[in-house]
Amino acid sequence: MQYGFHFNGQRCTGCKTCMLACKDFHDLGYDVAFRQVYEYGGGTWEKDAEGALSQDCFTYYVSVACNHCAKPVCVKVCPTGAMHKDDRGIVTVDGQRCIGCGYCALSCPYRAPKVDREAGHSAKCDLCADRLDAGKSPICVEACPLRALDFGEVGDLRARYGTVADLAPLPSASVTSPHVVITLPRCLEDEPSRAGTGEIQNRREIV
Amino acid sequence: MDGFSTAFSEITLVLFTTLAPSGAVAYLLMNLPVLFGRVDGTLRQRLDRLSCLPLAITMVGLIASATHLGNPSNALYVFTGVGRSPLSTEVFCAVIFLALAGMYWLYSFALAPRRGLQRVLLVAIDGAAVVFVIATAFAYSVDTIPVWNLSLAPVSLLLNALVGGPLLALSGFAGVGYRPWTRPLVALSGAALVANVAVYGCLGTQLAVMANEMVHATDLVAGFPAYVGVFALLAGVGIVIAWRSRGCEGRSPVVRLAVATACALAGIFLMRFTFYMAHFTVGLGV
Repeated sequence: MQYGFHFNGQRCTGCKTCMLACKDFHDLGYDVAFRQVYEYGGGTWEKDAEGALSQDCFTYYVSVACNHCAKPVCVKVCPTGAMHKDDRGIVTVDGQRCIGCGYCALSCPYRAPKVDREAGHSAKCDLCADRLDAGKSPICVEACPLRALDFGEVGDLRARYGTVADLAPLPSASVTSPHVVITLPRCLEDEPSRAGTGEIQNRREIV
Repeated sequence: MDGFSTAFSEITLVLFTTLAPSGAVAYLLMNLPVLFGRVDGTLRQRLDRLSCLPLAITMVGLIASATHLGNPSNALYVFTGVGRSPLSTEVFCAVIFLALAGMYWLYSFALAPRRGLQRVLLVAIDGAAVVFVIATAFAYSVDTIPVWNLSLAPVSLLLNALVGGPLLALSGFAGVGYRPWTRPLVALSGAALVANVAVYGCLGTQLAVMANEMVHATDLVAGFPAYVGVFALLAGVGIVIAWRSRGCEGRSPVVRLAVATACALAGIFLMRFTFYMAHFTVGLGV
């Protein structure tokens, strides 16, 4: 069994309800987020000889949490084995083993693990394991007002939504083999040449 | 999202990677006269006992690194990751080196220590010291952290150890009034410094083109050439002071060599600081 997320780039409006629901549910401080929403945009405005303006700008949003990767670098570098994959494929932290060295947080290309200095160990998205036990979805999936997030066994998600896992600004899926399935934003479907040509617009919001 | 914040939050690791490799190299150099039977009697005994100097410096680094842990009481679990996690391997190598060196130091207080046994121990300790320095150099080689994964990054730490280690060893020798190999050890430190500056020059050109979706490496370590310049200056001053201490008598060389070592270690500290400043991952991590 391996759980994963589906992110629908055609539905997400960047409202950050997923992020705030997660912070609220897990009682996270202002400077910690297990899920983040990136605003990614690019393109240019041009003025022709007669002064008419034209543009090819685009923007889309990407909601990202831990992708419970097949090759999780956080698990690989963890010196104590506290960061591990459980039998549901959830990459999770054993607080009784973690020394809080932060190597997982330093190495994850998705910024997923954080170090909870107060608790003395790492903390991260565990797919709301308690809710899963109760037969519910992760809180971010349930909270999304646009139903841009889905969750389930990754094989089912891939059968339903396809196998795309690459979308800027995320790192190449070849790095850690994330268990995420992405429906590309409309602007990339219309013009695939835009892929990777933009940049993150909301850097200061990211924690 | 600036490099200073990252480096300050890992300041104890900066200290560890500054002190421990140089301490290990100094320990190795300081026990060579004993290993090869160049010293005897009281001098040998004093040299054995003062080997606690580089050992203490290495341990200060190791203890400092432990202070950044959120929950040190779980530290024994670190040994479950040896071979898998480079950090576990590094800590394991450090513990082996320090345990063997500590045993040797305690044994040096025996009324009639067996020389054969001491030599066997020294060979084992020297091997452990070399493995420990190499393990420290590669402890941060992770393929998702581009700057730390550059092939020259571990080389820079190994050269750091060869810059600081010989000067620290000379301080130890001077502490027992023994002045062997001043020229070759200062020359070793100087050659390592030249190579180290060249390596940092290459790393600087590699940094200039590295970025992820959040930052450019040059924004994280703005003014990298200036840091390299200050490093070269500090370590260079240390080497000159060590060189000029050759003809000195009495307690003067101890003080001069201590100052020389402090200068070199300050320069190394600066460059280790830039190492942590340059942290970012592929993708989104800063």
